[in-house]
Amino acid sequence: MANIVLDQLGFAYPGALEPTLLPLSVEIKDGEAFALLGASGAGKTTLLNLLSGLLVPTTGRILFDGVDVSSQSGSQRNLAQVFQFPVLYESLTIADNLAFPLRARKAVNGFSAADIASRVAKIAGELEIENLLKRKPKTLSLFQKQLVAIGRALMRPDVSVVLLDEPLTAVEPRTKWQLRQSLKRLQEELGVTMIYVTHDQTEALTFADRVAVMADGKILQTASPQEVYEHPAHEFVGFFIGSPGMNFVAIDSATPAPMYAASGVDQSAQRIGFRPEWARLEHPPMTHPLSAVHWLGRVTHCQILGTQDGAPVGITTLASEVGELKVRGAINATVGEEIMVVVDRCVSFCAEHYVATHYAQSSTVQLTNPVGDE
Amino acid sequence: MTSVSRWVLVFYCIYLLLPLYWLMTMALRTNSDITGKFEVIPSHPTLANFAEIVSNPVWYQAFGNSLSYVVLNTLISICVALPAAYVFSRYRFLGDRQLFFWLLTNRMAPPAVFLLPFFQLYSSIGLFDTPLAVALAHCLFTVPLSVWILEGFMSGVPSEVDEMAKIDGHSFAYFFFRIFIPINRGAIGVTLFFCFMFSWVELLLARTLTGSTTKPIVVVMTRTVSASGLDWGVLAAAGALTVVPGIIVVWFVRKHLVKGFALGRV
Amino acid sequence: MAINKPYNNRAWLGVLPVLLIVAFSAVIPLMTVVNYSVQDILDFNSRFYVGLDWYRETLQDPRFIEAFGRQVLFSLSVLAIEIPLGILVARGLPKSGAWTSVLLILLAVPLLIPWNVVGTIWQIYARSDIGLLGVGLNELGLAFNYTSNPTHAWLTLIAMDVWHWTSLVALLSFAGLTSVPPAYYQAAELDGASKWQVFRYVEMPRLGGVLVIAVLLRLMDSFMIYTEPFVLTGGGPGNATTFLSQYLATMAVGQFDLGPAAAFSVIYFLFILLFCWIFYNSVMTDETVEDAVENTANNNEARHHD
Repeated sequence: MANIVLDQLGFAYPGALEPTLLPLSVEIKDGEAFALLGASGAGKTTLLNLLSGLLVPTTGRILFDGVDVSSQSGSQRNLAQVFQFPVLYESLTIADNLAFPLRARKAVNGFSAADIASRVAKIAGELEIENLLKRKPKTLSLFQKQLVAIGRALMRPDVSVVLLDEPLTAVEPRTKWQLRQSLKRLQEELGVTMIYVTHDQTEALTFADRVAVMADGKILQTASPQEVYEHPAHEFVGFFIGSPGMNFVAIDSATPAPMYAASGVDQSAQRIGFRPEWARLEHPPMTHPLSAVHWLGRVTHCQILGTQDGAPVGITTLASEVGELKVRGAINATVGEEIMVVVDRCVSFCAEHYVATHYAQSSTVQLTNPVGDE
Repeated sequence: MTSVSRWVLVFYCIYLLLPLYWLMTMALRTNSDITGKFEVIPSHPTLANFAEIVSNPVWYQAFGNSLSYVVLNTLISICVALPAAYVFSRYRFLGDRQLFFWLLTNRMAPPAVFLLPFFQLYSSIGLFDTPLAVALAHCLFTVPLSVWILEGFMSGVPSEVDEMAKIDGHSFAYFFFRIFIPINRGAIGVTLFFCFMFSWVELLLARTLTGSTTKPIVVVMTRTVSASGLDWGVLAAAGALTVVPGIIVVWFVRKHLVKGFALGRV
Repeated sequence: MAINKPYNNRAWLGVLPVLLIVAFSAVIPLMTVVNYSVQDILDFNSRFYVGLDWYRETLQDPRFIEAFGRQVLFSLSVLAIEIPLGILVARGLPKSGAWTSVLLILLAVPLLIPWNVVGTIWQIYARSDIGLLGVGLNELGLAFNYTSNPTHAWLTLIAMDVWHWTSLVALLSFAGLTSVPPAYYQAAELDGASKWQVFRYVEMPRLGGVLVIAVLLRLMDSFMIYTEPFVLTGGGPGNATTFLSQYLATMAVGQFDLGPAAAFSVIYFLFILLFCWIFYNSVMTDETVEDAVENTANNNEARHHD
């Protein structure tokens, strides 16, 4: 387990016009479950390849426990990686597959055959795959094979970090959550530093202690899932996280509406964003017109996700004077109806960056639990 | 790749190139020059041999003859194999696996076995000494090969493509010719390569089934060998020229070549 | 790909053209051969049914047995060289880059040269009077002459076949090696595997399926070899390099003894079929073929994720 520091790390492919990664710095603590979240092309794969030694940094350094490993190969860094599809040795049994990382380095780490056997048994026990030990990879399902791949990554007790590159990609959707659970449990029990790269926010937010949201070669925010959800440091973070993500409304500073002031939104903000969960639908007229940010909208679409207290809840899409808005919660309007969107909490952004969080002053407001609706 | 493999590669490339180099030098020297003096690098290179081939009808007609039956064979093989490969990749039917295996065994048949019957068969139906005869005879090997290769590639094209075309309202003919075949361009290219690879190089059948009018290049060259007054220079030049079509075909198909071999379907 | 293939007997329409052509080219001639093999044909009008006499005679013919023995020795020798050599060459090839295309084309060239030209090339090359190799070896004091010395003839033939066909094994192996997604190499490196371990556990399993095909093809084809030895040595000196195909050809064409020639043909064909059958069944069951294809398909998919 190692503490990893990326110090002004940047990367550009030779001959490329623009760098793939702009100099970024982040610290990943020993034993932490860390996620790199971003859309395709954000640079997360490049960052992963820099961490694994496949690529050499153009600028900056990588430090493992304070030691500069930027020019070392992956095996010198003593790390392990789990790939998008199960990478196993097809001609060996599962037991031999698991033992391979230890056997290959026997000269270095001095493990005896007995040590190796007991470690194999231990890891197989943790993953509940003892019954597969004598079989060959060909006979296993994708899910089982990926479990074995994770096991292989955890074999070395002194492994510095385990990198996971979208490990749930090849697994059937039905079993994804199972694999996620196993991973989280293993990480906590063994205290291994894990860096999990994904484009799927559910995976990142449920797995990680801290998430780094990436876009365009930059890390936009590194924080706990809660923090990233409630206080996005950048508009993109607000947009990317959440299903659906934040609504954004531009504030025309020339003619600020008094309702913004009432909610505490200041003049310097250029856009406000609010999560669909932070708004509700109210039939006009508003009881306290200036107490909260609100707009009139016409419902264009209702997506029912379930019921709560007998009433339907889901996502309502509306067309309003400030554009398309989505509200998540109780659905108390029908398509075509005109209704008010009332925002109980919003975040203001200036030049895409976070400025402040604002709460509506309406006394009838109930703050909705942000993580509750998932 | 280890350094051992690299060295083996280097030495093997030299091993490959030496005889070819020698062929070229022979082609650039006249026969008297060759038999007169042994030289590693020709001191008086000349294009006389190539001129002889280009101007002598015996030679250039022979090239033409060979090309004609190779092209014919490739055309027939691909046309016939396309529908067969299609149905093998898309449907199951009575006896399909047995049929497939039987086709493969034909690829394994020694040409020598068919010398006699082919000779008699083609003579009796009046096809002897025509390019069609050789083309058809070669079909014995190239058709199963084509079906095998095409089927391998076609199995990789999802059947959703077929369904979408049907949903879009296209007739089967439209789908097959305007959609499916263009998708399989690479496969057809590889098949072309392998058909060519077999038909252009074969001697025994080509010799048996052709007479004086359709003498292919392979025969003219071997006849030159057995005749007295051997002209090494012209022989070498002719040999060099037979390598050219091969290189052209490989060049065009090079991107799909590895995939063709990858399916292990040679 | 294990796509669900619907059952439809109308598919026979698609294979009809193939059937017709192959039947015309294969079945009819084969039946003719079998027909001849059980008859004594003196001329076109007088034939006598002789049963399996020709078969018995052929199988006991000492020249047949000799030719068969030579054939086996030849096939095994070239196989023993071409397979390992082909694998090594494939491993030495760069997987991508400018050189790859050039080298692949160079490797493919020997496969596309008319077989008689291959013989001619080696004839010119190995002759002790005008050949680079021939003269070169003699200059080194080796008294090399493949036209008069049977051992030299054998060695030259083997060298020629290696020159001719190793590329096939190399290209097949290369295709197998490049089908390994880079992740496997990366994982092995992270595991701390040695170069030998990488070869044994990452590459060999992939090569397995491809190699079976390579061995099968080379075995078949070398057993049928005719043109190249014919051009190079004419079967000589004496009988030293007369293999099965040539023996059959001389019998059939030269001696006009249709009956025994036909019987020989059938025996020859049966041997080949036997090999084919043995290999196909013991090493590659239908499932394995499907597995191999499925693996290729999976790996092609997997590679897109990288």
